[in-house]
Amino acid sequence: MYYYGLAVIRRVSPVGSKKVFHMPRDASTDKPLVELVNVAKIYPPDIVALEDVSLRIYKGEIFFLTGMSGAGKTTLIKLICRLETPTRGLIEVAGRDLSRISPAGIQRMRQKIGIAYQDFRLLEKQTVLQNIAMAMEVTYASTKAIHARVDELLALLNLSDKRDKLTGELSRGEQQRVALARAAANGPSLLLADEPTGNLDPAATELVINLFRHLNEKNGSTIVVATHDKSIYAETEHRVMDLRKGHLSAHPNRAPRQIELFEA
Amino acid sequence: MHFLAYIVRQTGKNLRQTWGTQVMTLLTVTLSVLLFAFFFLIYTNMLRASARLGDDLRLIVYLDQEIPEQKRPEIEKKIRDFGPVEKIIFVSRTEAFSRLSAQLDKEKDVLNDLGPDFLPPSIEVYPLKNLQDLTKISQFSDFLLTLPHAAKVQSGSDWLRRFGDFTNLLQVVVLLSGVLLIISMTFIISYTLRLTVVSRQGELEILRLLGATSAYIRLPLLLEGMLQGFLGSSLGLGALYLLYQWIASRFSGPGFLNLFDFAFFPPELTAAILLASVVLCTGGSLFSIRRFIRI
Ligand SMILES: Nc1ncnc2c1ncn2[C@@H]1O[C@H](COP(=O)(O)OP(=O)(O)OP(=O)(O)O)[C@@H](O)[C@H]1O
Ligand SMILES: [Mg+2]
Repeated sequence: MYYYGLAVIRRVSPVGSKKVFHMPRDASTDKPLVELVNVAKIYPPDIVALEDVSLRIYKGEIFFLTGMSGAGKTTLIKLICRLETPTRGLIEVAGRDLSRISPAGIQRMRQKIGIAYQDFRLLEKQTVLQNIAMAMEVTYASTKAIHARVDELLALLNLSDKRDKLTGELSRGEQQRVALARAAANGPSLLLADEPTGNLDPAATELVINLFRHLNEKNGSTIVVATHDKSIYAETEHRVMDLRKGHLSAHPNRAPRQIELFEA
Repeated sequence: MHFLAYIVRQTGKNLRQTWGTQVMTLLTVTLSVLLFAFFFLIYTNMLRASARLGDDLRLIVYLDQEIPEQKRPEIEKKIRDFGPVEKIIFVSRTEAFSRLSAQLDKEKDVLNDLGPDFLPPSIEVYPLKNLQDLTKISQFSDFLLTLPHAAKVQSGSDWLRRFGDFTNLLQVVVLLSGVLLIISMTFIISYTLRLTVVSRQGELEILRLLGATSAYIRLPLLLEGMLQGFLGSSLGLGALYLLYQWIASRFSGPGFLNLFDFAFFPPELTAAILLASVVLCTGGSLFSIRRFIRI
C-alpha cells in the first residue's frame, strides 16, 4: 500500500522544482533508509500497539505519520531507534537489521539519528546550551563547533535569548523547540520528531517546519514526523500515512486530493 | 583528540556534583592508607632491627662437666640436626676463666682467691639470624637442655624474645589493617560512585538516548575512582612522612630511634603502596560501574 503513496508523490512533484532531489527515488532499485516488514509490537500483557506494519522510508524523504492518540505513533518511532524491540517482524535502518546490531553499534547509530521526544526528555536543571550540547558532546565535537551550531539552531528557532536559561524554567513551547534543536544538533541523517508542534502557536510551528526544510535540503536529512497537527501536513507534497488499529494506510483525507492531482 | 578532554571534564563535573561525599571519601582513603602505612612502617623497621639484633643472639648451654675433645663433633652434629646454626663454640672452664679475667682487666685480682675452676664450662650456640629463629628460640633452648651434661640454658635476653613476639603481633596488625584498607577502600569507592551514578541518573539516561558510547559514560567514573585512590594514598603517605619527620626530629640524638635506625619507606615501596591504592580504588569503581550502569 505504501507503493501507492510513493507513486503519487513522484507524480505530483513538479519536474524542475527545487524539491525534486529529496523525493523518493525508484522504489525497486533504491535501498530504503528505514524499512519495517510485518512489524508487530505488543506491550505486556496484551496491549497491541502495532499489529502488522510494513513501511519503507527513503533517504531524503519527509514522512508524516498521523493517527489518533494511542494509535502507536510513538511506538513506531521508538522501534526505529531501538528504544523498543518489536514483538514480531523485521526492522532495518540503513540496510542493517536492528536485531543484529550490538549495543555499541546501536549507540553509534543513535548518534546519527536525531530524536525529538514527545515528552522532550530534557534535563531541567541544565541550560538550553548544555542540553543541546550533550548531543554533540557524545560525538566528541569541539566546544567551538558546539557553540556555533547551538547559536545557529537557536536563531532558527527564535530562542537565541534563552541560551543560558535552565530548560526547567522555559514554557512548554520553548522546551519543545529545545528538544528539536537537540535532535537537529548533529545534522542527523534521520530525524524522528514525535509531535513536534503540539505546544506551538502558528508562528513557532512555521519555524519548526522551516527547520525541517532546512535540514532536509541543506543536509539531506530524512525526516519522520509523527503528528496530530493537520496544519503541518495539509499543504505538503510529501507522504502522509495514517496509523489506525495497529495498521498503516495512506491518510484518508489526503487520498482524494492526491488522486485528483494524480489525474490532473 | 577531544575524547580525553571530555572524559576529564566530565570527571571534574562529577566530582563537583557530589563534592561533600567526595571529600569524605578522600578522607577515608587517606586515613586507611595512613593507618596501614603507619603499622607497615613500624613493622619494616622492626624487621630490620631484629635482623641486626640477631647478630648478637646466642644461646649458652652451661654444663656440669667438661666435654672431652673427641665427643664434641657428635654433640655439634646433634645441634645442627635440630636447626640452622651459624656457629658453635665450646668453652672450657679455663677458657671461661681467662675470658672473664680479660674482661675484668685491672680488677682481675678479685679472681685470685677463686681459682680457675670457679666458672662452669659451656657451649655457645649462634642460631642463624632471622626472625623465624628468633621466635623459635624457646624451642631451641628446650632442646639444648636435653643434651648430655646440660645444666642450664641461657637463651639470650628475655626482652629479645619479647621483641620477636611483638614483631609477630605487629605482623598480624599489619595484615589486619591491610585487609581493612582493602575493604574500606573498595567499599567506600563503590559507594561514592553509586552516589555519583544516582545523582546523574537522569543525565545518564539521556546520554544513552543520545548515543553515548559506554566508554563515554564509564571512563569518567573509572577515572573518578583512580583519582580518589591516587589523591587519598598520596595524602596518607604524605601525612605519614610528616609524622615520621616530626618524630625523627624530636627523638634525634642517641636513644631508642637511633638504636633502631628508624627509616621511612624506600621510594619503591612508597610507589608500590600508591599503586596498590590506585588499583584498589579503580577496582571499587569498576565494581559499581558494572553493578549500577546498564549501558
Ligand atoms: N510502555 C508501554 N507499556 C504498555 N503499553 C504501552 C506502552 N507504551 C505505549 N503503550 C500503549 O500502546 C499504545 C500506543 O501508544 P503510543 O504511545 O505509541 O501512541 P501514540 O500514537 O504515540 O499516542 P499519542 O498521540 O497520544 O502520543 C497505547 O495504547 C499505549 O497505551
Ligand atoms: Mg505519542
